[in-house]
Amino acid sequence: MEAAKGGFVLSNLAEVVERVLGFLPTKALLRAACVCRLWRECARRILRARQCLAWVSALEPGPADSHALVRAMARELEKVHVLPQTVLYIADAETFSGHEECHEQKKARKRNSKETAVALEKLLPKRCQVLGLVTPGIVVTPMGSCSNQPQEIEEGEAGFALLFPKIDGVKIHTFHFSKDVKNRVFDESKFAEAGLKNNPDLRVVLLFGYNSWKPGATRFLHQIVNPLNEKSIILAGGQVESFTSLTSENNNAQPGDACGVVGLAFSGPQIQSATVLLDQDVADERTAEAAMQRLKAANIPEHNTIGFMFACVGRGYRHYKTKRNMEADAFRKFFPNIPLFGFFGHGEIGCDRIVTGNFVLRECNDIKDNLLHGYTTVMTLIHLGSAKANQA
Amino acid sequence: MSLSEKNSVVFAYESSVHSTNVLLSLDDQRKQDILCDVTILVEDQRFRAHKAVLAACSSYFLSRIVGQVDADLIITLPEEVTLKGFSPLLQFAYTSKLILNKDNVSEVCKCAEFLGVRNIEESCFQFLKFKFLDFKLDQQEYPRKKCCTQRCQKANPKIANVDDGDLEIDDEAEELLEKDYFQTPDTKFCKDDENAKSSPALQDNANQVCDPVQLERGSVSSSSSQCPKYRKFQKAFGNDKVHASESSSSVKDIQMLPTATLLEKEISDNDGIQKAQECVPMQLVSKCEETQVKMEEGEEGIEKKEEPKRDSVTQIVSCPVEKMDLAAPPQNSTAPHGLNSASFLHTCEQYGNLNISSMQNTVLADKTVLGTRVGNDKIESQDDTPAKVDLCPREATNITSAGDRSSVEREVAEHLAKGFWSDIYSTEACQIHLPPAAPQESLEPAYSGKKTECPWLGIRISESPEPCSQRTFTTLNSVNCPFISNLSTEGCSNSSEISSADCVQGQQQDQCPYNYVISLGEDSETDTEGDSESCSAREQECEVKLPFNAQRIISLSRNDFQSFLKMHKLTPEQLDCIHDIRRRSKNRIAAQRCRKRKLDCIQNLESEIEKLQNEKENLLKERNLILSTLGETKQNLTGLCQQVCKEAALSHEQIQILAKYSSSDCPLSFLFPERERTAPSDSELAVPACIELADGLSGVTPTNEQSSCYQIVKSVCDSTYDQAQELHPVSVRTVEKATLVEQCGQSGGITDFCQQMTDKCTTDE
Repeated sequence: MEAAKGGFVLSNLAEVVERVLGFLPTKALLRAACVCRLWRECARRILRARQCLAWVSALEPGPADSHALVRAMARELEKVHVLPQTVLYIADAETFSGHEECHEQKKARKRNSKETAVALEKLLPKRCQVLGLVTPGIVVTPMGSCSNQPQEIEEGEAGFALLFPKIDGVKIHTFHFSKDVKNRVFDESKFAEAGLKNNPDLRVVLLFGYNSWKPGATRFLHQIVNPLNEKSIILAGGQVESFTSLTSENNNAQPGDACGVVGLAFSGPQIQSATVLLDQDVADERTAEAAMQRLKAANIPEHNTIGFMFACVGRGYRHYKTKRNMEADAFRKFFPNIPLFGFFGHGEIGCDRIVTGNFVLRECNDIKDNLLHGYTTVMTLIHLGSAKANQA
Repeated sequence: MSLSEKNSVVFAYESSVHSTNVLLSLDDQRKQDILCDVTILVEDQRFRAHKAVLAACSSYFLSRIVGQVDADLIITLPEEVTLKGFSPLLQFAYTSKLILNKDNVSEVCKCAEFLGVRNIEESCFQFLKFKFLDFKLDQQEYPRKKCCTQRCQKANPKIANVDDGDLEIDDEAEELLEKDYFQTPDTKFCKDDENAKSSPALQDNANQVCDPVQLERGSVSSSSSQCPKYRKFQKAFGNDKVHASESSSSVKDIQMLPTATLLEKEISDNDGIQKAQECVPMQLVSKCEETQVKMEEGEEGIEKKEEPKRDSVTQIVSCPVEKMDLAAPPQNSTAPHGLNSASFLHTCEQYGNLNISSMQNTVLADKTVLGTRVGNDKIESQDDTPAKVDLCPREATNITSAGDRSSVEREVAEHLAKGFWSDIYSTEACQIHLPPAAPQESLEPAYSGKKTECPWLGIRISESPEPCSQRTFTTLNSVNCPFISNLSTEGCSNSSEISSADCVQGQQQDQCPYNYVISLGEDSETDTEGDSESCSAREQECEVKLPFNAQRIISLSRNDFQSFLKMHKLTPEQLDCIHDIRRRSKNRIAAQRCRKRKLDCIQNLESEIEKLQNEKENLLKERNLILSTLGETKQNLTGLCQQVCKEAALSHEQIQILAKYSSSDCPLSFLFPERERTAPSDSELAVPACIELADGLSGVTPTNEQSSCYQIVKSVCDSTYDQAQELHPVSVRTVEKATLVEQCGQSGGITDFCQQMTDKCTTDE
């Protein structure tokens, strides 16, 4: 009798079912969605409402058979409450591309990193866009709360994956431009394909150059950055060691062969963003905090906002007189509830700029300002719109 | 129905450009003064505008304008609204673009607040205020602190390091210089010493450069702890730097414009030094000679007055005056450093006097003056250096005027050498002084390796007074702007180091400390890693034919770099190349740091491994020792047991009891091994440890007790000898124990103890 009652409720009352299913993480929810139509509908509604960013971070090394990030992903994806649509993951170069054994054989290393990337992507839903980067150092906020203390991990196994769900009013594109050896002129039509052109809602572009040591890489990067810089958008990013995956173009993406640029384009009218550049003069706590204060003054809402930090390998604790975690701490001091992610790379892209729906504040010089820097840190805040507005 | 529906369908056309276009045309109207119906008076300046636009943009204007019937209204704004703050806002009203800079931000913010301008978000002002405020702080407050701490430190660090190493030497050198000024050879010697010493120091520095910041700090501290002279220098340096930093622009401008000579001098000094250093390595002897010759002539005239060149002297005099002028403004700007400025002035005056005096041909006087002025000179040199730095980009232009400068430059260089970089400068100064040809040569053999590289060589060449060929100079300069690169490419470690140090010194004053650091780092890198990279940079440079050298690109601070790029009109290829070079060099530094870190890490691990291996070896040795002693004791024990067995005739029961109770005790269990080969292995294992323990721990009394026990046991053993073989060892032990317990109460304690110890031992093993 009791069982029959329960069965009736769970197969007829959508409100109850939705409430119950609402406690499930995404993977379990998807499984539950297979039960019946009602449950499927409920699950769909629940998933649609889950629009907050989630992330998986791996901080401590583990057994050598796989990268810590892969293990963390396998573990945590079961518990994640969003359905990732776009994934940006960054792992540290040393461990991600295999362990020290394959030090001598570069090929082995590369294959290894590719394998790691494949293992990682297998864990993710098939249809989501994945952008994977490998960098010398990682900045990551431990999982759990947004207010966890972000860590700058300059050496050692670490990584993180940002899982962007489908967010109403925000479009996130991944793009990849690789340098064509034969064609020296950059094809503008590629921009349009990537949503970087004729897109009035474009607000933020995160750019990551790879293989920047190749001849012509800088020029190529300039070719990409300069037209983008003419728009009223935030540009941030850096030079990474390599990129490992880009599901959308896996077939023709050949990292290692040519230089190129990968990135994420955030477009949407509700996106607000600000970025500051910590240049070489920023070398102690006071100046770093002053820069954070500047970022704070941009008045970007803290809710549903992510912080990015793209630093130079030359910075970090050596730059701050062996004070570790200086910049991340300064960030946390001023933004207690924004998770911070980023990396230590080989060069940075960024400037001081604010872009919101209402106004743009940017430096205007008679000559085009240069966005490529070295020995700097770029701190960026991206606000993906208030969740309330989304629901309304 | 359908028809009516069709009729009622409404389409909406919406233009996305209309609003902006309306605004644009309104702006045009404003500019052409069409339809403007209001005049705004701000600080006596008139602005024409449209009432409607103003009222729409600002609540203040709305309230002022509404209700006014005047056809041509004139609104006078209160004092709160300044011209600086208002005009950007007016522009914003018509263009929706607000141009803000450091000067006007606060005023625009105030005015916007006062006027109630809409659509301007406070946060942008906040953002900019922080940015500019920061900047100001950096520029003003920091400079002093930095000057002394960072810039100076950075600049100094190297110097300081050098100083540390060479302080004593320097002092000696200075003294020598002062005393023996006349005699160049002495000075040379001093120089040589300094050089020799300095070169290692430099190398150290280079090594240290990897962690420039730390080093710098350390060096600063170290420098502070150095000789008072140095402290003074540093102070002066700091002040100078402050001046330079604060008034750098003004100073630069002033220097640039009015004092071509000063610039030239400074440049020439820098160039001269650099050249001297570089020239040698480059072995562009001929060119160097010419240029140097000129230089030397000037120097000689001044210093030795053996070849009193009045022209040069006059030039010098004029230069000092100019310098004085130049120095004055910066000092004024940096009022706090009254002492410095005063000293500066004094120095300048002295300088002038000295020059004059030198004119009078008193070589000695000059020397003495130089010695006394060392501090002043240093200050001057510091001042000069910033100027030099500024000038550096314009070296080419300066080069043309090299001839005139050379003398002045030399002086400056000398002063500098004496004052600051005691090592470097001293070396330079020595070089300068060296001109007296003979000593150089003598020195050369000793330094043969270095000499080729060393600048002095150039100097000696220069001894032969030849008309200065400025062109050669220019070529040299253009090539060698990146002295470092040249040097490094040439592979003279010493010279390159020195040059780098010099460069650093020069640059430090002008530019941000970081840049210097970077340049240092680069230098060190080039030194350590080889020239390939610099070469490649050079090649690239050559490919694109940049109007300046790569070193500058690399060493400039970001802001300087950008303004520098602005100054030059460059093709995109050149720009790319420059950026590439810059980025690459920065990356190189970063990479080097990375590598160093890694190496350190590896080293640590290796040492750890070594340590652990040693430990393991020791432990193994110990184990062997223990094993051998264990074997011995075993033998002893078995011998004892045999004896006991023979002497005491034990009954079967006794043995059983013994066996029962001695199961865990070793000594007793050993009574049986010969008879009972079946005894469990663990008992055997346990025995030796027990024995050891018993021996070691119980000392005399326990052994006695044991012996008594043994005797008892013996009898038991003997009596039950045959049976015991058949018996289970345990039982035997129990028997033993029982007897033991009965006969000597202490034995139980011993056995217990032994058991515990055996347990421990077995677990340990």
